[in-house]
Amino acid sequence: MMLALRGLGKDYGERVAVKAIDLDVERGEIFGLLGPNGAGKTTTISMACGVVTPSRGSVSIDGHDLARAPFAAKAKLGLVPQDLALFDDLDARQNLRYFGALYKLRGKALAERVAWALGVVGLADRAREPVKKFSGGMKRRLNIAAGLVHEPALLVLDEPTVGVDPQSRNHIFETVRALKQRGMTIVYTSHYMEEVEALCDRIAILDHGSLIALGTIGELVQRHASKAMTLELAGDVERAARAAEAHASVVREGVLLRVEPKAGLAPLIAAIEGSGATIARIESRQANLETAFLALTGHALRDGAA
Amino acid sequence: MIGATIVKDVWLLLRDRGRLLSLFALPVVFIVVFGSMFKFGPDRGTPRPIAIWHATGDSRGEAIERALASTPGFTPQPLASAGAVRSAVAHDEVGAGLVIEEGKVVELVIDLGAPVQVRGPLQGALTGVVMRALAPVQLPPMIEPRSPPGIAKPIDDITSFQVTVPGNAVLFGFFIALTVAMSFAHERSTGTWRRLLAAPVPRWQALLGKLVPYLLIGLVQLAFLFGLGALLFGMKIAGSVWALVALTVAVELCAMGLGLLFASFGGSERQIGSMAPLVLLVMGLVGGCMFPRLVMPAFMQKAGLVVPHSWALDGYYAVLVREGTTIADIAPSLVALCAFAVGFGLLGVLRFRFER
Repeated sequence: MMLALRGLGKDYGERVAVKAIDLDVERGEIFGLLGPNGAGKTTTISMACGVVTPSRGSVSIDGHDLARAPFAAKAKLGLVPQDLALFDDLDARQNLRYFGALYKLRGKALAERVAWALGVVGLADRAREPVKKFSGGMKRRLNIAAGLVHEPALLVLDEPTVGVDPQSRNHIFETVRALKQRGMTIVYTSHYMEEVEALCDRIAILDHGSLIALGTIGELVQRHASKAMTLELAGDVERAARAAEAHASVVREGVLLRVEPKAGLAPLIAAIEGSGATIARIESRQANLETAFLALTGHALRDGAA
Repeated sequence: MIGATIVKDVWLLLRDRGRLLSLFALPVVFIVVFGSMFKFGPDRGTPRPIAIWHATGDSRGEAIERALASTPGFTPQPLASAGAVRSAVAHDEVGAGLVIEEGKVVELVIDLGAPVQVRGPLQGALTGVVMRALAPVQLPPMIEPRSPPGIAKPIDDITSFQVTVPGNAVLFGFFIALTVAMSFAHERSTGTWRRLLAAPVPRWQALLGKLVPYLLIGLVQLAFLFGLGALLFGMKIAGSVWALVALTVAVELCAMGLGLLFASFGGSERQIGSMAPLVLLVMGLVGGCMFPRLVMPAFMQKAGLVVPHSWALDGYYAVLVREGTTIADIAPSLVALCAFAVGFGLLGVLRFRFER
């Protein structure tokens, strides 16, 4: 086990940011942490990386307890924060030399690691340029390089593609896959469904500070997305939606109800028609991660409702 | 880790022209301006002109003019009439004037509205000159100024730069506290602080790693200002150079403690940038960096002791002006500065939040 979270939670005063998460990340996998903004993803990985002290629970990295042996645990870890955590006035190489030195890399070993990390993210030819002259995508790539310069066993990427162009996004995807090929374990947080679907072996879905689902994409879809469908209504849609809530999880979007029946379709249809509305169209949606997420949380990933 | 941080922060400073100017160039401008404003002391070659008028052949007038010419720091400036003397004083062309009319008491022309701290020394000195010139017989010296035992003799030619160099060095030396606090805020806002916390670096080392580079930069800054003062402005070091070094290290430690305290209040770079300079300027003003505490009212002189600047300046004054001043002689300043450093530092550490 590369990363193990046990009952991990965080309170800020009265507010519970993360309740109590149990999670295992296997060695060599790309593990996705999916959830809307505010779901608790960043707080969870901040605790997992020792940046934030948990209110409860424990973290173990490659067998090292983060509270008891923080330096041994952190030595195995590379963090790529959501922010562009770089020094704009330094060049790419100077940035990486500094971050590498935090992991006790010195001299030739440091120079080699810096050259390797720049090569991995495709910035070897820009090593001597000040970061402030880089494009947003190049900064994102260098941000990743700074997290992996010491070649950690576990790389945590917190929303690594925020604000990047498609070309840089593809480059980041390729980098992540290449690192997995080298045997690196990767935790990848995002609120982009398609990224997680494209990259991750297993996924955990967080919402309102709780872990609500965990498994491979196939498992999640099979478990949670099979019954999702969309109904187009005419008449008093609001009344119909209230009536439907007794028989399904419901999200209303105008005249559309995205529903997942709790016990068969017949009682749901009877309830809607009993409310006075009529069903103009029924669309059974293709089961995928998005419908699974909808079924689990009651809202779409980018609603920002968390 | 600390070595890497030093390299990184020195690089960042070298690329930040604004910061370089504020740390190294601005103090020099202030030293030149204040040094030119405060022409107290002999300032060789620039004696103070005193306007004077007396009728031709008037024995009293001639005696006073001769006495004035032989007094260090003054030079008589004869004018055509009593009215011209009064006008010159009224228009600030000279600080004071003497009008000697036959059969009348000697008139000292001086702005009585000026603060007594400014007017008093000039008035007293000119009164002495006149009394000595008009005494019926030349008396032997009746008074000789001496420092009490335990206080070393000052050097003979104290120029304004003996005061304005340390004054501005202390004022701008403490401004490194602002740079420290801004650096913390910058690292928090960019996320590099998060990276540092995720690295296998003890938190005390992370804190120390942020302070040591600026301590070194601050020492270089003060060495530069005192070196420039000595080479360019003729500032003398009357006491021990080691005392100067010890005092400078104490000042920088104190500035680091203050920087940590500023940083512990959190806030953005903008918030720190608007709050800390005000605090530092007020501390410098109260501590006598811009106007020597000697010319302040007694209660302000005492009030100044609540800021480290005044203790630093007292120490620097002793080292630069009093011959043979040793580390032991400036022990009160060193102890006070170290106490401030520990106080600020402890408060900063206790308040500091690694996680936000």
